[in-house]
Amino acid sequence: MAAAVGINKQGAAMESGTRYGRGTAGNTVKVLECGVCEDVFSLQGDKVPRLLLCGHTVCHDCLTRLPLHGRAVRCPFDRQVTELGDSGVWGLKKNFALLELLERLQNGASNQSGIAEDALTEMGERIIRCDEDESHTASMYCTVCATHLCAECSLLTHSTRTLAKHRRVPLEDKPHERTLCLHHQVHAIEFVCLEDACLPGPLMCCVCKEYGKHQGHKHAVLEAEANQIRASILDMAHCIRTFTEEVAEYSRKLAGIVQQIEGGEQVVEDSIGLSHTEHLCHHRSLRVVVSCQVPGTAESARSCVRAYFAELHETLCRQEEMALSVVDAHVRERLIWLRQQQEDMTILLSQVSTACLHCEKTLQQDDCRVVLSKQEINRLLETLQKQQQQFTELADHVQLDAGIPVTFTKDNRVHIGPKMEIRVVTLGLDGAGKTTILFKLKHDEFMQPIPTIGFNVETVEYKNLKFTIWDVGGKHKLRPLWKHYYLNTQAVVFVIDSCHRDRLMESHSELAKLLTEKELRDALLLIFANKQDVAGAVSVEEMTELLSLHKLCCGRSWHIQGCDARSGVGLHEGLDWLSRQLVAAGVLDVA
Amino acid sequence: MKHFLRALTQFFTFLYCKFLWRTLKFVTRKLTGRCELQRICHNHKPGAKRTFKIEHSLKSSKNEVLQSAVAASPDAVERIVDEILDLKKISPDVNLQLGISLQASLFQIVGYRGLVAEVEKLRREPYDCENTDHEDMLLRLWKSLSPEVPLTGRISKQWSDIGFQGSDPKTDFRGMGLLGLHNLLYFAEHDKATALQVLHDSQQPKHSKMSKADWEKNSFDKAIGFSFAIVGINITELVYSLLVSGALKTHVYNVAPEMPSLVHFQQTFCYLMQEFHKFWIDENPCDIMEFNRIREKFLRGVTKQLKNPNMALCPHSPASDLHLINL
Repeated sequence: MAAAVGINKQGAAMESGTRYGRGTAGNTVKVLECGVCEDVFSLQGDKVPRLLLCGHTVCHDCLTRLPLHGRAVRCPFDRQVTELGDSGVWGLKKNFALLELLERLQNGASNQSGIAEDALTEMGERIIRCDEDESHTASMYCTVCATHLCAECSLLTHSTRTLAKHRRVPLEDKPHERTLCLHHQVHAIEFVCLEDACLPGPLMCCVCKEYGKHQGHKHAVLEAEANQIRASILDMAHCIRTFTEEVAEYSRKLAGIVQQIEGGEQVVEDSIGLSHTEHLCHHRSLRVVVSCQVPGTAESARSCVRAYFAELHETLCRQEEMALSVVDAHVRERLIWLRQQQEDMTILLSQVSTACLHCEKTLQQDDCRVVLSKQEINRLLETLQKQQQQFTELADHVQLDAGIPVTFTKDNRVHIGPKMEIRVVTLGLDGAGKTTILFKLKHDEFMQPIPTIGFNVETVEYKNLKFTIWDVGGKHKLRPLWKHYYLNTQAVVFVIDSCHRDRLMESHSELAKLLTEKELRDALLLIFANKQDVAGAVSVEEMTELLSLHKLCCGRSWHIQGCDARSGVGLHEGLDWLSRQLVAAGVLDVA
Repeated sequence: MKHFLRALTQFFTFLYCKFLWRTLKFVTRKLTGRCELQRICHNHKPGAKRTFKIEHSLKSSKNEVLQSAVAASPDAVERIVDEILDLKKISPDVNLQLGISLQASLFQIVGYRGLVAEVEKLRREPYDCENTDHEDMLLRLWKSLSPEVPLTGRISKQWSDIGFQGSDPKTDFRGMGLLGLHNLLYFAEHDKATALQVLHDSQQPKHSKMSKADWEKNSFDKAIGFSFAIVGINITELVYSLLVSGALKTHVYNVAPEMPSLVHFQQTFCYLMQEFHKFWIDENPCDIMEFNRIREKFLRGVTKQLKNPNMALCPHSPASDLHLINL
């Protein structure tokens, strides 16, 4: 009992010492606080001190709150600019001098306070004071008096005969103190209850076990149970150690990755130099450590982006030049033609006026001459009429319009003229409905066509586009000839008969063959699932699935459109899609 | 100015049709003492020219009996002729020739309409796999065109040997219906020699100019001559459109003495098929893709021929046992 009090006393003393120690440490540390937020710096976390270029130190937290000027911050003390790297504030160097100081101060403090904290642990036990004299250090333990004693005091206090019989053991062998039962003050706790219901208070003495509240409960011996728990704690400690290692490894890796991203200098050993002679060795010492700038992944990503946009820019410039040259050529041609016309008109005018003059002259001549010149006049009149006819024809055909309507395609080519022409080729198996679709689009009437031999070609105007549609026969033997129609084709319309399930695979293989064609690499692909009106037709979704279109047409712009050539449903939606793909956005609405 | 002139011309044409022509007719009638129909029959030999004139005269007549004569049914023709003679106060005993001529021409006119209807009906009838008659006709077609090789099955790759697109000929009859099959069968059965010759040539394009080895070497690029069956269906469409547009009247009026029938149509088809084959070889196209161009050219030629009222698409083929009426 007294020992326990002693320990408590010691603890209290230590506590006050700690408080004092911490206080002094705090005074010293107070100097080491951030000049902005006046919080004490810490070894890590938000309050880590970081150095600015001007030499001032500010805590990390405050740095993150500083306003950014582009990629730089201003020192809050002297307004000097410090450039930030990719990782921002994290990239600024820590003030290691300060950190070291801080660490040292904290260690000093914890050394003093540590005793107090550990007094109850085994470390504290080692320097247990003698109960008789505060200034002595205990080395023995009297098992009867339950006191800590130094050798000297042991002899002194246990000098009497009675007391000399007390068994005194070295401090290391001091038996564990027996805690007494709360309910039966005289009995020590010897057992542990194993029942779930008693988990909050499992400890029991022999009375509790036999007659008390744990009567009849399953139980174990206290010491064995404690040892078991100790073993499990040891196991856990082991686990914790590996876990710590893992965490450390992970953070090391993180640091490595940060390094890789940021890039920077990397030291490379020159291994060749090692086998060289002394003379060379001197030379080697200059070369042995070659530091080289290794670009971080951030930098390489940035350069990649730069290269891409540079290329894009270049392409755009080229395309702009080309488009401008097209416009120039058009304007030049147009002007040449107009000037030519102007000239022609001048010539015509002069011819007409000459004729007039001639007529006038003839009028004034005498009768004989007038009669003589009749033939000539007739001829003149004839040419005049012819010229007039030509002129009216010309005037009928030519629209005098200064406008130069410009349209842009998706690939940034320029097109001049009211309608943009697009070349489309319609392919598919025989009997799929290619010709029917073509005629429906052209004449808006349904006709049951006869098998196409060779091809049909029609121009269909839709919105501001002029589709030149080549409809090539789908007969098996004609398919090798399809390739003659690929050239300069901007779009392929592939027609599939939706109600002919057994021919879908044939369609699929033809389509797959088409997609490997080099000339069609950039062509748009519009798939018409025709004959949707027929009962039992394969739906668009099912068709997509059956032909595995997503896989087949991967990496190109394609679209599947259900349609019905009989009523024309879906055909214009298909053309809409084509025009959206071909014409740069917004242009369609202008038309 | 130009538009005004055009309008003026139209106005005068209208005026002529409406009044002047009638006045002229009236005056001539008074002078010669014969009505227009009489004059036509008297002045022209039987043939397209006469029939055209009679048709025009009847159609533009004021009289309802005369107007409805062109749309009458074939059975009513004799009665109508009597009615016309009665109306015009012409004694049938005196003008025996007039009655006969008028009747023949009327039969031609009415028969042509009937033929158009008959052909249209055949065209609209789709090929039906369930119908044994249709199936039977298809198999007969195979037997006549390919007597030595038996057909392995109703649906077979062999069909493409005689120029169908796929393994089931049914799909190729979509536009022309049974008409295509009827025509092909007629050609194959009534003019077997020519049909087989055309088929043979279609399987070996430019047979005359190319050795077998060359042909095989080029066969992939040049592909195919033309496909007999679907070309047949295309030519059927050509004849059909000529018939419907009325361009074929010249030919029919010239070859059919009275009622034209389906046989006339089929014979025209045989003849045109043969002609087209010759035309194709003469044109010497480099591949089948030129088909439409050549077909257009061929059609232009035929249409031009038919503009001449004395012209008939003269079938000299064995399939034709017809004799021209007036040539």
